[in-house]
Amino acid sequence: MTTIPVNTGEDPRQRPQLILHHSDFGSVTNAILRGNESPKPPKSWYFALAISFSLMSMLGAMIGYLIFTGVGVWGNNNPVAWGYPIVNFVFWVGIGHAGTLISAILFLFRQKWRTAINRFAEAMTIFAVICAGTFPGIHIGRVWLAYWLFPIPNQMDMWPQFRSPLLWDVFAVGTYFTVSLLFWYLGMIPDLATMRDRTTTKVKAIAYGLLSLGWRGSMRHWHRYERAYLLLAALATPLVLSVHSVVSFDFAVAQLPGWHTTIFPPYFVAGAIFSGFAMVMTLAIPARELWGLKDFITMRHLENMCKVILLTGSMVGYAYSMEFFIAWYSGEIYESFAFVNRAFGPYAWAYWIMVSCNVITPQIFWFKKARNSIAIMFAASLLVNVGMWFERFVIVVTSLANDFLPSSWGMYEPTWVDVATFLGSFGLFMTFFLLFIRYLPVLAIAEIKGIMPQADPHGHGHSYYEMEGETAASAKAAEDDE
Amino acid sequence: MSSVNGLNTDNERKWWRSLDEAVSPNEVHSNEMDEFPEGSGELLTTGDDRRHFLKIMGASMALAGLGLSGCRRWPKEHIVPYAHRPEGTMPGIPEHYASCFEFEGTAQGVLVTSNDGRPTKIEGNPMHPDSKGASDAFTQAEILDLYDPDRSKKVTYGGDDSSVNSFKEWTSSYLPDKGKGIAVIVSPSSSPTFHRMRRAFMKKNPQALWVEYAPLANTNERKALLHAFGGNWVPVYDFSQATTILSLDADFLGAGPLQVPNTRGWAEGRKVDNGTMSRLWMVESGLSVTGSKADERQAMRPADILALLQDEQISLNGAGSLTDEQVQWVEKMKVDLNQAGNHVLVIAGASQPPIVHYLTARLNELFGSVGTTVSYRQVDDGSNATIEDSVAGMKDGSIKGAIIIDGNPAYDAPSELDFATALNALPISVHLSYYNNETSQACKWHLNKSHWLESWSDGRSANGTTCIGQPLIEPLFGGLSPAEFLAILAGEEITDSHTLVRTTFNPKADKWNPSWRTAIHDGVVANTATLEAPPVNRKMMPDSTVAAERGMSVVFTPSAAVWDGRFANNGWMQELPDTITKLTWDNAALLSPATAEQLGVAQGDMLQIAVGSNNIQIAALPVPGTADDCFILPLGYGRKFEGRVCSGAGVDVNPLRSTKHRWTATATVSATGETYKLATTQMHFGVNTTPGKGTQERLPLLYREGTLEQYNADHGFPQHVGHVPHSLSIYEERQFEGAQYKWGMSIDLSTCTGCNACVAACHAENNIPIVGKDQVLMGREMHWLRIDRYFAFESDGHGGYDGNKLTSVAIQPLTCHHCENAPCEEVCPVAATVHDIDGLNVMVYNRCVGTRYCSNNCPFKVRRFNYFDYFRRDPLRSTGMLQVQPDYYVKAQSGGKTLRAMQFNPEVTVRMRGVMEKCTYCTQRIQRVKIATKNAWVKKSDAQKAADPRVAIADGAIVTACEQACPAGAIVFGDLMDTKSRVSTLHAEQRSYEMLEELNLKARTKYLARLTNPIDGATAPAGGSHS
Amino acid sequence: MTQQRFIFPRWTNLALPLIAVVGATAPLYVAVVVAYGFSPQSTDVGYMPEQPIPFSHRVHAGELGIDCRYCHNTVEHTAHAAVPPTETCMNCHSQIHPESENLQPLFESYETGMPIEWVRVHDLPQYAYFNHSAHVTRGVSCVECHGRVDTMEVVYQHETLSMGWCLNCHRNPDPHVRNPSLVTQLEWGLDMSAADRIADSASWRSFNNLNPSQDCSTCHR
Repeated sequence: MTTIPVNTGEDPRQRPQLILHHSDFGSVTNAILRGNESPKPPKSWYFALAISFSLMSMLGAMIGYLIFTGVGVWGNNNPVAWGYPIVNFVFWVGIGHAGTLISAILFLFRQKWRTAINRFAEAMTIFAVICAGTFPGIHIGRVWLAYWLFPIPNQMDMWPQFRSPLLWDVFAVGTYFTVSLLFWYLGMIPDLATMRDRTTTKVKAIAYGLLSLGWRGSMRHWHRYERAYLLLAALATPLVLSVHSVVSFDFAVAQLPGWHTTIFPPYFVAGAIFSGFAMVMTLAIPARELWGLKDFITMRHLENMCKVILLTGSMVGYAYSMEFFIAWYSGEIYESFAFVNRAFGPYAWAYWIMVSCNVITPQIFWFKKARNSIAIMFAASLLVNVGMWFERFVIVVTSLANDFLPSSWGMYEPTWVDVATFLGSFGLFMTFFLLFIRYLPVLAIAEIKGIMPQADPHGHGHSYYEMEGETAASAKAAEDDE
Repeated sequence: MSSVNGLNTDNERKWWRSLDEAVSPNEVHSNEMDEFPEGSGELLTTGDDRRHFLKIMGASMALAGLGLSGCRRWPKEHIVPYAHRPEGTMPGIPEHYASCFEFEGTAQGVLVTSNDGRPTKIEGNPMHPDSKGASDAFTQAEILDLYDPDRSKKVTYGGDDSSVNSFKEWTSSYLPDKGKGIAVIVSPSSSPTFHRMRRAFMKKNPQALWVEYAPLANTNERKALLHAFGGNWVPVYDFSQATTILSLDADFLGAGPLQVPNTRGWAEGRKVDNGTMSRLWMVESGLSVTGSKADERQAMRPADILALLQDEQISLNGAGSLTDEQVQWVEKMKVDLNQAGNHVLVIAGASQPPIVHYLTARLNELFGSVGTTVSYRQVDDGSNATIEDSVAGMKDGSIKGAIIIDGNPAYDAPSELDFATALNALPISVHLSYYNNETSQACKWHLNKSHWLESWSDGRSANGTTCIGQPLIEPLFGGLSPAEFLAILAGEEITDSHTLVRTTFNPKADKWNPSWRTAIHDGVVANTATLEAPPVNRKMMPDSTVAAERGMSVVFTPSAAVWDGRFANNGWMQELPDTITKLTWDNAALLSPATAEQLGVAQGDMLQIAVGSNNIQIAALPVPGTADDCFILPLGYGRKFEGRVCSGAGVDVNPLRSTKHRWTATATVSATGETYKLATTQMHFGVNTTPGKGTQERLPLLYREGTLEQYNADHGFPQHVGHVPHSLSIYEERQFEGAQYKWGMSIDLSTCTGCNACVAACHAENNIPIVGKDQVLMGREMHWLRIDRYFAFESDGHGGYDGNKLTSVAIQPLTCHHCENAPCEEVCPVAATVHDIDGLNVMVYNRCVGTRYCSNNCPFKVRRFNYFDYFRRDPLRSTGMLQVQPDYYVKAQSGGKTLRAMQFNPEVTVRMRGVMEKCTYCTQRIQRVKIATKNAWVKKSDAQKAADPRVAIADGAIVTACEQACPAGAIVFGDLMDTKSRVSTLHAEQRSYEMLEELNLKARTKYLARLTNPIDGATAPAGGSHS
Repeated sequence: MTQQRFIFPRWTNLALPLIAVVGATAPLYVAVVVAYGFSPQSTDVGYMPEQPIPFSHRVHAGELGIDCRYCHNTVEHTAHAAVPPTETCMNCHSQIHPESENLQPLFESYETGMPIEWVRVHDLPQYAYFNHSAHVTRGVSCVECHGRVDTMEVVYQHETLSMGWCLNCHRNPDPHVRNPSLVTQLEWGLDMSAADRIADSASWRSFNNLNPSQDCSTCHR
């Protein structure tokens, strides 16, 4: 008898298992909801929450101080009028990309493996966009007038200036957030119902009951549900591309050397997906350990993500080199100087951190060993996050610091408030995320069941291959986990 | 406190009437709501004074405060009309009064703007022979001194409050008979009244010592001319007549009492008529403003400069240390001088020894320039002793009392005298001073001096013309003018400045006397110039051999910001970037890059500089074009006086200064290893940013210059510098259909010297805040109008540039260019910056939410952001967590804030934090004239209306603040739609170019390329390359 | 052991239409309340502070028919229609009611030279630079902004003086212009038909070639 290889590559006819060690639906539900239903979450959860919450409070304090005192508490100055806040904004928006990509685009492409990661990837999107949204809000000089950015009829008979990319941002990010939120919530309804049905306390029962909108799992419910989900996916897909394109316009539309580049939209989108996946990985690896989800987020999932990171990372690298080429090719002295200055000027250190993290690091995923080593991919994902933050720093700060007139060149130094605010945004993000994995279904239970062999209406019991496959795969998974 | 003590009440009434008489007929009519910044009603603290204040002010007060408070129903406001409105005044219409302010013994003619009784702005007096309507930075900044919260507000005796009356009694009883053992130390003054009182005083106290002392007085010249002509003579130069100028370390275009006339004259000489313009030869140690504009410049050690002029032939005896290059250079210079005939002008700096000044006078005579470019006049100087004598007397006990009028000798007297200690020891010591400064601290009596805007005065301008200075406001804190003070000492019965000055003018004239009233109105008395051509004594000066010192030498210069320290507590001046170094809030030891390398120091590294036994520690600041082994030390910093602005600013270099070494001394210098933060508004001189690249390549594009020869060959040479691609705007470009006017500006780089007058004027006109050193360090200075300075270097042969080989210094005023395709406008999300139909790029503060996107997208980076509420912030370095001054939460009684607010221009919104601001082409001035013109137009007959459908505004009717101040006439503003206007013709000139034209901005501000006139026409302008 | 599952009971269906209605109208309601409640219309119009002297414009401008410019005599020359100095009042009141109680502050001011502190009624923000002369000389009547002051016992704010309100007129000057010599005739034109009024207005506009500017720089500096 022949053993069937696990890897798709060698035998395209065969698909290895996506879910291990689970032959019936009940056990899947139990396994996924273990984290939520255990009377007490693990100590590590409390510990993490404590840290994130205090960071979040620090963010609050910083914002209060900022509004009371003035933007001057930051390091922003005359040539460099945008500093940390905008860097952080773009960074977080970028992170917020993977979620919708996974849920929408991979869904439309019928990528089954997405089911294991889409739920918390979407959650991550929501939280990241919340962090992102904070910064443009607080970075303006007179926060209390921020509502002037919205087209609200007023006694001044004034409208916003629709040519400004900042205004496009307001709409783009707003839309993206709304759709992602709907998408996320809609997907959760059946699982919320499941939790409602299994919960033991009245409060939870009612809470989940309300959230699940009276879901009873009837045939019609499922039918409507699937339709809505499909529609939202179609709706969200263009957004994945639009949001970061629009964000890139903030720079591309300005005529500053180093900003004024046509390559920005695709380059930003690639970068966003790049950083998004890196963040998913950074979260998934500890989460699957902590919540015991190894059976669902298998090595194969992680490996796929590594591949996406490798791809997008290389695209980003290509963009970097292309920028340089065009700058040189244009023969425009300001443009070419801007790039020479990036690589060899006062901010060279930031530039080389960016290049080594974003371009060099992912290349390691050419090796299967790296794609299968938890340690390596975790480290790599962290580095990529660092690198992507620096990418935004390089774009925003170095371009502004040395533009057309040497007389107005200046250096930018963040203040302690800048740094504290940035760290605080991580607190905000993590707090949300920790609460999420404790109180909401961390994986898409229903969808996962949907891709189990048992869900296949044609499969009567288990075929020989699948039996073999499963055992083989589980054996493989077992040794991976060592 | 009480402000009326100083004056008897009937004098006060006189004062008012005479002010009403003096309403200037050529007053400009403003059409503004007159409004008053927050709390200025509470200016004076007691109710009594408030009433008194209102009497002065009258007029309605809408408490403006920081004008952007958005939400309604704001606090209840009061309208406070006059009880008796003075004849001819109209609330809300600023009035203009001629006055004069004396600076270093020269009267500067000014025209002061008064808004409902508050003097708010100082301009040059168009009728004054020197200013002709222009002014310098000091004059502009004087208005802020008037409202300085740190000014001395009371009379004190031994530290306790006293009064003028008790001082009067004291003088009558305690002053020794015949003034035996009394030394009177005064700052030089040209005021006839002052000298009249002096004589009165000396008549009663014949035995008193009379000492005229000023730390920067040009005593060497005085001595030389005394030898040459006999008597107290000063030269009066007319640079407009000079075709060839030789300056021996004389920074005649730099800050000083004659800056305005000198700059105007020089600028006239730079106008190219039939292919020629004047040529300036410069020899100096440091890079001065004049040096930066020189056509031929050599940087030399003081010793070498001495060596140059050893006899009347400018031979090079004893000039052993000159390089061959320099020797050839001198030969060329001599040839050039001899060709120029009687249009030569030779001028020597105060730092030069008497012999050089004597020879200078001789040369001017030999060239026959006396009468064409140089003439002389005699000045009133009553000195019968020097400050050294007086101190010697104090020490040997022959001098028992010192009466010090103005000045601050305890701070700036030659160090070896140890003046302060000597003064402290005296039983009798009196100081009349505007601040309770170092000298006041050492005196028994301190009397607060009134500001010149608070009392009557007179003086003589550069050419001797008599000027009358009238007050614009009741003394805010009492106080005496020097003349009043002297009158009291002399025991005169009439001691009010008004009568004193009028009596000097004409003893018989009463205050209705027409010629007197004309004099007040004009501010000058016609045909009172006193120019002469004295006969020259041929005998060489006795001490003609000058021991030239070698080695490291320090050179003392006046500071262009604080002069000798008198402007140290003036925030505008402290924050005014030095033309050459761009340094604010500090002084530093300027040295050549080579010397810096040699010492192993860079910008901000501390140096220990020792002269004899005295030494100071000061930060180094390398400046190309400085002579090697020279350390230029600006005076006037490191004040001990605890002003809220000046305390902690800079280093006091006076300890190194002594009678023998007033201007230069040999020193030993070493690096201490410590560093100090220097707040420069421009980065380091750019050799070391990204291998010297970036700056040097683009410089020819940004700052276009050429030689006279190039220009004569091709007037359009600046057009061929860069290639301008034809670019299109992504949006439809605005065509300005139906526009009645098209505002534009032209700036002449050829005549602009970077004197900073425009920057200060802009500050005063537009309520621009100062931000303090910490903010300048962060690059947050608020100047709407800045002056860029670049150094052009020779290439070092392999890609880089040689920071020691200076080829040219670029001085370029930069402000909002009002681009028609303004990049800032496209990106503002709330439409807070937009164009108006006349082509102004307007910034609407009250709409701005502060995204700062416009600033990012502005290629000139001329937009300024209010990172804090700078008017609520303490200009001191440390501002605490909340970044507002401690008294901010205290009710307005705290004085400082409200006093400052009196200077505000009511026609310009005071910006709050979080909004962007920038140059508006003085839109408030444009509006004023526009509205007046249109109102007049409506009243015209149909025929007249038909003749002038556009409601044209006469060229020159609208003058921006910078244009009005500029002594070189380098800035011209006007209507481009009027093809005959000056600005249109200038824009049409081939020399005129648009900065960053390749960005398709269609800027309304254009530059006229700089022309230089080096001796070898073909070569690039010669700079300070030196041994 | 598990709770009985919480599913919406049948009656909740009744709530649906209610929720729908509320959900639809509530935001609208809030918007309207906020927009109106905070608009100058409700915050400013009708502001009628008490003045130190109970001066009656109804009597002086209305019954006695004193021209506005007799007291506010700078209105044609400056931005500011200055409140008259005490002297102006005394021109008459030295004879008329010389003993009136209400006028004591006036007499005191005349004696001491101390101003009377009137309370400002029409109060623009400091960043808005309105200019009386520019309007009055072009035939914009006092009444356009101040209402029928000649009928007011105590002066109050009649218009919102909001930016939008200013723009209304600058965008469509008809029918707000008249013969400049009639600007102080507050009741003029009330009896005209709208059409006549506009026609008259238009004629004066073209006569003075009056095209009100809508540039920011016109009012903001």
